Amino acid sequence: MASQAVFFGLFVYLFIGAHYTGQDYIGSTVQRFFHFDPLLALVTIVAGRLVYAYFAFALITVVATILFGRVFCGWVCPLGAVHQLSSFVFKRTKFLKPPREDKTSLAPKYYILLLVLIGAIFGLDLAGYLDPLSFLTRSFALAVLPSLAYALSSLTGALYSLGVIGIARAISQTLENWTIHATFIQGFSIGLVFLGAIALNAKKERFWCRYLCPTGALLGLLSRWNLLKLKIDDEKCIKCGLCTTHCETQAHPYPNDHWKSGECVYCQNCASICPTAAIGFKLSARPEKLTNVSNVDLSRRKLLLTTIAGLVAVPFFRLTPSHKRASLKLIRPPGSLPEPKFLSKCVKCGQCMRACPTGGLQPVLTEAGPEGIYTPKLVPKIGYCEYYCSLCTQVCPTGAIKKQTIEAKNKIKIGTAWVNKSRCIPYVLGKPCIVCEEHCPVSPKAIKFVNVETKLPDGTVAVQKAPVIDLTLCTGCGICENKCPIVDDPAIFVTSVGETRSETNKLLLDLGGGAAQDPYKSD
Amino acid sequence: MKRRDFIRDAAAAGLALRFGPRLFAGAPVPAPLPALAVVEGESPAAITKEAIDLMGGMGKFVGKGAKVVIKPNIGWDRTPEMAACTNPEVVKTLVELVLEAGAKKAIVIDNTTNQAKRCYVRSGIQDAVQQAGGDMLFVDDYRVKKMALKGEWIKEWEIVQDVVESDLIINVPIAKVHSLCRLTLGGKNWLGATAGARNQFHQGLDKSIVDLSAFFKPRLTVLDAYRILVRNGPQGGRLSDTELRKTVIAGTDPVAVDAFGATLFGVGQDELPYLALSKARGLGETDLGKVRVEKRTV
Repeated sequence: MASQAVFFGLFVYLFIGAHYTGQDYIGSTVQRFFHFDPLLALVTIVAGRLVYAYFAFALITVVATILFGRVFCGWVCPLGAVHQLSSFVFKRTKFLKPPREDKTSLAPKYYILLLVLIGAIFGLDLAGYLDPLSFLTRSFALAVLPSLAYALSSLTGALYSLGVIGIARAISQTLENWTIHATFIQGFSIGLVFLGAIALNAKKERFWCRYLCPTGALLGLLSRWNLLKLKIDDEKCIKCGLCTTHCETQAHPYPNDHWKSGECVYCQNCASICPTAAIGFKLSARPEKLTNVSNVDLSRRKLLLTTIAGLVAVPFFRLTPSHKRASLKLIRPPGSLPEPKFLSKCVKCGQCMRACPTGGLQPVLTEAGPEGIYTPKLVPKIGYCEYYCSLCTQVCPTGAIKKQTIEAKNKIKIGTAWVNKSRCIPYVLGKPCIVCEEHCPVSPKAIKFVNVETKLPDGTVAVQKAPVIDLTLCTGCGICENKCPIVDDPAIFVTSVGETRSETNKLLLDLGGGAAQDPYKSD
Repeated sequence: MKRRDFIRDAAAAGLALRFGPRLFAGAPVPAPLPALAVVEGESPAAITKEAIDLMGGMGKFVGKGAKVVIKPNIGWDRTPEMAACTNPEVVKTLVELVLEAGAKKAIVIDNTTNQAKRCYVRSGIQDAVQQAGGDMLFVDDYRVKKMALKGEWIKEWEIVQDVVESDLIINVPIAKVHSLCRLTLGGKNWLGATAGARNQFHQGLDKSIVDLSAFFKPRLTVLDAYRILVRNGPQGGRLSDTELRKTVIAGTDPVAVDAFGATLFGVGQDELPYLALSKARGLGETDLGKVRVEKRTV
């Protein structure tokens, strides 16, 4: 459908655009899509106990859904477009043969929604795992785009060896220009989950939208009273049932009074497949019959069970030492909120990781506990925090990473660098190095050097410049760790201690006598 | 004055200076060209142009249809005022001169330290080069090849192919302090034409510089000392880390260029061991008394 193509195109365009384009501030990117998502709005506001102004856009979706039903799902949602297209392909290739009438329960997504909402009440943000926008952005950022980049890069190599230098060069320069990284921890498993979600469409058309999507469920609940109603012209209808068979979301167009307004996504399949053109959508304020309002078989017993499961899940998700003590390698992006607040607002969309120019922002697996899976951390060995960059703070859709100007960002400490003197080249081998000092971006440098004496194996003593760190100046950007010639386990490394955002993960005792000198104001 | 007019006038002035004395004195003996041209002045473009003119003009180095690589220092994500990267006006002027002299292509490339695009953009060099009609290339992983350097220390290393596959390399470093090799001038600039684990060069930086200089053999070096970095090298970060010197040094002797560069900082040659090593290798002259230095202010 044209509308889906347009929105999907817009989504991809904005998604790709979230990188260093040559401008330090990039304005609106794909995060604007998120602001129209009522589930993310609701969960972020409830879980984070904070109203984030941008989510006012979600009210537009809410009003549109109340008036016209789940048009968001059928016409706007980019993940819906992906599912619809793949369903179409599966159907055409006969992998998917829709049954005459599908009676599978549509309830799971409502239970998922309930679970997510109960979590939110307790400050647990689970929306991001199955929210369609988070899911799609994460999959694209960490798996689809990187694999594409990898493939293109390999193609470049092949083209060079074939002598097609012009095209090869154009590809390689474009990849560099768009800052597409091919290295992501968990990229493989995130990609597998994405492919799995697509493969489910071979079982049922728009499987995700029917059974899993919590956002769809929320919109379904909102669309009970919508004015746009499916109407079958009884005089034309020949009762063939094709509409019900080919309904993408099992909304059951025929018979007319069984149509489920909360499931219909207005894809118009039924109208276009109807051999007698008996189906149309008309504005009507006529209320639904009660059976259709509740329209899914949500049993009270299962609702209760889900509620209990949600209540139990909260402490389960929190059974982790990361709430007691900060995690060594959990270096959050600059501007991140304090950890508990961060966890309750991050929707794991991976947009910050897409924007990171060095590819240093990576999805967390274990460091932040179960609720922190797919949240961002800086892995300096892979990429460091660029001094003049605050892109990750600009693309965060929920404010889990607070927007920063570059000047403000450079006053934020995300961690602290340490020298491992038992691995550092001048300290151990008595050879010159101090690559770390050369790369330290702050002025005056946080890495100084001192002359150290090293006893060599032959008994002689070497004197070399060796790095020492001024902890008051170090911002934890990690370029030292990234550029250290000891590649396997760098002799200088960053840990999270001393990070500005934390009250507990502190390092230097500052009792407030004499404010620390601001190195940026000294001249 | 428009740039074009300026260039035309400057070229005319250059021609007059070069041929003028011969015309008037009637003596057929042309003055020998200097090994170094040191020009001071307000405009980075004008002093660059003048320095090249003093060296005999770009036509002396660039053949018709030649592919020329200009290798500035674009190592850092810093603005020109931070004096961490070569002045964009200097680079732009060189691109213009090279193309005017009949070159087919003027390629500007550097293997940067920060994200390449950031360095290219913030240094102002990308814009400048594109305005002048040059090509700005990112270092391409597939165009990095291990090459035989046949150096005394480095036998082979990954080199950016685009730099060596050219008819002429012009080295355009900026003069900065560096904590390990004291100063980064022309010699140290070659690290930006290498790839691989180049941070290991730090374990013998002076020896590396000599081997790399011997490999690249630039016929023309243009040292940008318009604004030099005197503290917190090699990337600075504050205006107070820099000093305005408004000077460009062009030379056919890369060692002499660096030797002269050291004088800007008041750094003795004993602190720059690679200069003596380079001389011993026959790469150039360190004794500035022995080379012809032409100085001018515009």
